[in-house]
Amino acid sequence: MHKYKKFVALLIVSLMVFGSLSACGSGSKGTTEANTDAAETDQETTSGEATGVTSEKITLTTVSMMGGTDPNTERYQEVIDAFMEKYPNVTVEDSSQMSDQTWKAKVAAQFSVGDEPDVIQFFTDNNASEVLAADQFVTIDEIREVYPEYAAAIVDNAWKASANPDGVNRAVPTTGFWEGLFCNKDLFDKYELALPTDWDSFITAVKTFKENGIIPIAVSLNEVPHYWIEHLMLSAAGGEEFTSIPETAPESWIKGLEILKELYEMGAFPEDSQTITNDAAGELFKTKQAAMQLDGSWYAGGIDDQENTVVVAFPVVEGGQKGPNDIIGGLSSGFYITKKAWDDPLKRAAAVEFVMMNTSPEQIAIYWNGNGMATVELEAPADMTPLGLAGLELGNAATGTFAPTDARLIGEAYSSITTSTVDLVNGTKTAEEILNNALQINMDSQE
Amino acid sequence: MLYKKKTPLIAFLLPGFAMLLIFLYVPFVDNINNSFYNMKGFIELQKFIGLSNYKEMLQDAKLHTSLINSLKMMGLTVVFQVGIALLLAILVSNIKRGQQFFRTVYFFPIVISATAIGLLFNLFYNYKGGALNQLLQTFGKEPVNWMAATTAFVMIIIPTIWSYVGFYFVIILTGLFDISDEIYEAASIDGCTKAQAVIRITLPLLRGVLCTCITLAVTGALKVFDLPWVIAPQGAPGGITHFMGTYMYQIAFVNLNVDYGAAIAVAIVVLGVIVSLVINKILKPDANL
Repeated sequence: MHKYKKFVALLIVSLMVFGSLSACGSGSKGTTEANTDAAETDQETTSGEATGVTSEKITLTTVSMMGGTDPNTERYQEVIDAFMEKYPNVTVEDSSQMSDQTWKAKVAAQFSVGDEPDVIQFFTDNNASEVLAADQFVTIDEIREVYPEYAAAIVDNAWKASANPDGVNRAVPTTGFWEGLFCNKDLFDKYELALPTDWDSFITAVKTFKENGIIPIAVSLNEVPHYWIEHLMLSAAGGEEFTSIPETAPESWIKGLEILKELYEMGAFPEDSQTITNDAAGELFKTKQAAMQLDGSWYAGGIDDQENTVVVAFPVVEGGQKGPNDIIGGLSSGFYITKKAWDDPLKRAAAVEFVMMNTSPEQIAIYWNGNGMATVELEAPADMTPLGLAGLELGNAATGTFAPTDARLIGEAYSSITTSTVDLVNGTKTAEEILNNALQINMDSQE
Repeated sequence: MLYKKKTPLIAFLLPGFAMLLIFLYVPFVDNINNSFYNMKGFIELQKFIGLSNYKEMLQDAKLHTSLINSLKMMGLTVVFQVGIALLLAILVSNIKRGQQFFRTVYFFPIVISATAIGLLFNLFYNYKGGALNQLLQTFGKEPVNWMAATTAFVMIIIPTIWSYVGFYFVIILTGLFDISDEIYEAASIDGCTKAQAVIRITLPLLRGVLCTCITLAVTGALKVFDLPWVIAPQGAPGGITHFMGTYMYQIAFVNLNVDYGAAIAVAIVVLGVIVSLVINKILKPDANL
């Protein structure tokens, strides 16, 4: 009996130990078959279809920014459903989410600890600096050695614009973006105001709306002040100085950022702009309680009133060096394949096929839908809304397109600016202090 | 027989200890190490900077604010969370009908996710169209910016305290039921009033339970994160509503200053240990009455 109890106790302990360790390690069964599969996938593929996706049951983990309220969420889900229908043995475990600071940090943490997904649609500029540092992506050249037709339809300019900061292409870009000042045209018409294409008409609009109980500008200074920071700096400094990385903040940057404080003191922002969430600020704009909102091309699809909403280039501030039609925009995201998936003979072809389904000219046309920039040659859709047309016009008329500040400064440096915005408008920090601190952090990281 | 041989005991204790070691103690020590370096990303130790992060903490005004807020929260949870729970428990224990109903009603907020409560109160506090301002406007009053600098802290404290009163209420109520009715009967024969019974009998006999509740409330206040972060992300407005937990999170995961965040995390642990020792010293939960 004593021996029996001892045996049972040992059995329970062993089960507990194995149970807690069962999540560790990767499956390595079927290696011989996997090697054969890998050999079979090493063949030429046609555009849009990688041959040799395994017939074994596998799980492909994917992440993208097309989640939450992103207008492309549904379209991306349709690709996943179509992929799983085509390959019933492949389960796609997708954890897409709309991009924000917290999500970026979460992705960076996953890469740091080796928990990266197989395929990820992520930033290609310095927004991805922490993730790129983990060196877990396969390059486009490496993929093309095995699949020469991989992303063949992407135009050269798009490849150039979406290269990582070290000049190497690792991600397949789908669409680019522009940023502009969204305006509720019906409110401008109601108060007989000209659209804010220059600084005078912008300030006139702010004052008139304020007097009439309309919030001039919807913004969450606490959560997403990013666009205002970048546009004021670009507007004051002009493209060349805006895109430089100096040792100390130029006068133009400081002057630009100080305008944010002036606008705050004028009452241009919501009463609770220091605490309101970005979503709630967006609701103010969409429900016509606010007249203007500075945002990007991704925002256009979520606006209900596509008829009475327009988007214009951010105006040039007094004494500013920006061209009237210079905008912030570019190509800063794309689909990566991680080394984890590439080196797994069972997953390699599936990962390639998944990316190719998402980056075929037909699918890019769906994601683009006339909004932002497309990375393949496409014609504008016939059924574009007035807002869609305004966005297309903004992109086409741009005399200069400049990448935002977070494309050049590392995450920690840029975050130090955005998280100091409320201090700036409250007067507890000056623009000069904030900018110089950010540049110092950026410089220290290069050492 | 089982306890004569230590081997089975150790065999059963080992897996739990291994889990704690791997997922708690090793990262904890690693975190302390990280706080002495300048880090690039979440893993790479870039440069040894010694006590630089700790020196920065001494000058960081927002950290001081978050420390003061955490200490205020501890006091408020003891007075209001445990205090209101005690009052409710005494009242409910004295009613014959409806006890179960009140137990359910007061316990219910615990079941609701703190994030959901935070989002709900966000909607209440919204300047434009929030429930509170809509109510004010119905009565012809001007809307109020509930999350302004002067009122934001109180607006965060209210739901944070409210959501956990039920937890301590149930614990204290259970403790009250352990007090024998005979003591109250004997006291009432001796002419003791209800109020005197509470002060002279109930509270002293509840001492152990109250000490536990106060310890839980204080340590919980130090750890609080979800509700304040959802209602006022990044300590809005302007970082004045940060608590130690939310500030540490912002520094590490929003500002991406991981090493400084590690130093703040160490400070939170040290503060927690100090607070626990102080509470034990003041309350003396094991002292004989």
